[in-house]
Amino acid sequence: MKFLDEFEEWFITSLMAGATIVIFLAVIHRYLSALPIPGLQNWLVSLDVSWAQELCIIMFVWMAKFGAAYGVRTGIHVGVDVLINRLEAKNRARFVLFGLLAGASFTGIVAALGAEFVWNAGAHHAALQAFGMPLGDIPEGGTTPDLEWPKWIVYSAVPLGSSLMCFRFLQVALNFVRSGELPHHDHSHVDGLDDDAASGAKA
Amino acid sequence: MNTAVIFGVLLVLMITGMPISISLGLTVLTFLYTMTQVPIESVAMKLFTGIEKFEIMAIPFFLLAGNFLTSGGVARRMIRFAVTMVGHWPGGLGLAGVMACAMFAAISGSSPACVVAVGSILLPAMIKQGYPPRFGAGVITTSGALGILIPPSICMVMFAVATNTSIGALFMAGVIPGLALALTLGGVTWWRAKKNGYPRSPKASWAERLHAFRESFWGLFLIVVVMGGIYTGVFTPTEAAAMSAIYAFIVAVFVYKDMGVKDVRRVLLSSANMSAMLLYIITNAVMFSFILTNEQIPQALSNWLLANGFGVIAFLMAVNIVLLLAGNFMEPASIVLIFAPILFPVAVKLGINPVHFGIIMVVNMEVGMCHPPVGLNLYVASGITKMGITELTVAVWPWLLSMLAFLVLVTYWPGLSIWLPRTMGLM
Repeated sequence: MKFLDEFEEWFITSLMAGATIVIFLAVIHRYLSALPIPGLQNWLVSLDVSWAQELCIIMFVWMAKFGAAYGVRTGIHVGVDVLINRLEAKNRARFVLFGLLAGASFTGIVAALGAEFVWNAGAHHAALQAFGMPLGDIPEGGTTPDLEWPKWIVYSAVPLGSSLMCFRFLQVALNFVRSGELPHHDHSHVDGLDDDAASGAKA
Repeated sequence: MNTAVIFGVLLVLMITGMPISISLGLTVLTFLYTMTQVPIESVAMKLFTGIEKFEIMAIPFFLLAGNFLTSGGVARRMIRFAVTMVGHWPGGLGLAGVMACAMFAAISGSSPACVVAVGSILLPAMIKQGYPPRFGAGVITTSGALGILIPPSICMVMFAVATNTSIGALFMAGVIPGLALALTLGGVTWWRAKKNGYPRSPKASWAERLHAFRESFWGLFLIVVVMGGIYTGVFTPTEAAAMSAIYAFIVAVFVYKDMGVKDVRRVLLSSANMSAMLLYIITNAVMFSFILTNEQIPQALSNWLLANGFGVIAFLMAVNIVLLLAGNFMEPASIVLIFAPILFPVAVKLGINPVHFGIIMVVNMEVGMCHPPVGLNLYVASGITKMGITELTVAVWPWLLSMLAFLVLVTYWPGLSIWLPRTMGLM
């Protein structure tokens, strides 16, 4: 479990950093290759970075799907809680639990829909091919326009991410039943304020 | 009939307190399985393609840039600069609060973080100088919201994504209203301070001002990187966002040295967390608006309005009321994503400029951050000032009232928003 937590964090952090660097390099490349520096210019022009945007989008889509699961764990997905917060504790707990289970069902359904979609969009074909079985008229599925990666691999972010999210909702729900505690995200956290905040609180 | 069911289901799911993204998604699923012929595959496709737009990717980049610069150190530099500039006027520290918030909220991109950062540094100083606590709390709570109008603004990117409006034009359109609102809030501060004889700070010399400006320059230059880059065509908005993230990283780690390289991982993780949450709402909102369009709900609404003789004035009035009411329950991102797809087609049909309409929505969101019951700024301010929500509501009302007046001005004076982008040739 700890491994899964760490992997999730490491994965979305790297995708975030990676996408930023990819776009940064692509922009730098575009302007450097316009400079008339002998040798360097030819080499830069010969590099094709037209795939940078597509790679950035794919990285962010994966980050979004796995980050949404991480977000369940950190309690960042907020809803309209003004009304239920006025209920007495016992009834409020019922609504909270209902919300968490609704989240688990929705992400579960999406995971199933997504898996079916990915299966039909080329995963089936790839699986048959891998085991050397007759392909019949199973579609091969397309590839992405610039990178030419198989679409089903790119799209499997949806079933994988959504399954993880479903798991996280169940985990949070179980923890809520056991301890009555919910993860809570603090939108107003600012670093480097410790001394001031303390004196502000006293004042 | 279908319309009533769709919104009924959404409303019921939402008030149970489940995440808004989940209630949107479940509404779509309920509708798909029970009442329509729309093939489920075409909606499932939206799960994959809903956020596959390069423009949307500006959101994670801007969040990252903002998070690098959301630190006490940056806030302190902005405050010092603001105090040297306006501190000697009546209500000096209050005015400095407005100015510091305008700058810090614009570059950090987060209103609540701005309230905390500027508030916890400035409020103790104000109390020490003899300002009543309510005065400072009112200034900071409302000024903290300035950030979503002054570019770069994530709220505007959301609107642009939901309606296919130009991000560059929206950003440019926010500049004048943003400054005008800062002046309005500053004006109220000045007037109240003068009337009540609140203290001034000693006047700073030009040497001190220059020094303070040089300190805050690196942070403020982020706005120039984004706006200049987009305006001159050097970058697309998303590229500008990515460049600003790299720029913010360099400033935070190597120029200001507020954070070490080891903190970068934490900043990346919290930005990824926040972006994923917003992108998840977007994915589900895209499916939801697909259903709305498919049921021709915006069309029905505009036909109804036209048939009943409602004009632009009445429509915009209704828009403001609906958005202010929604602001009582939801946070800005969800409001923009749910309401823009419904209201925008109607606005366009009535001949309202798309960019102007975007600015109206954004100003509405700004007001919504500052009033009860769920204004996020109020809650955060309540945390740092140790005042109750009721007392804070009393504290903010002079500024809140002026914001509402400003909202009316923005709503019925399109030139205020669209003059600049039009003059600069962005629309």
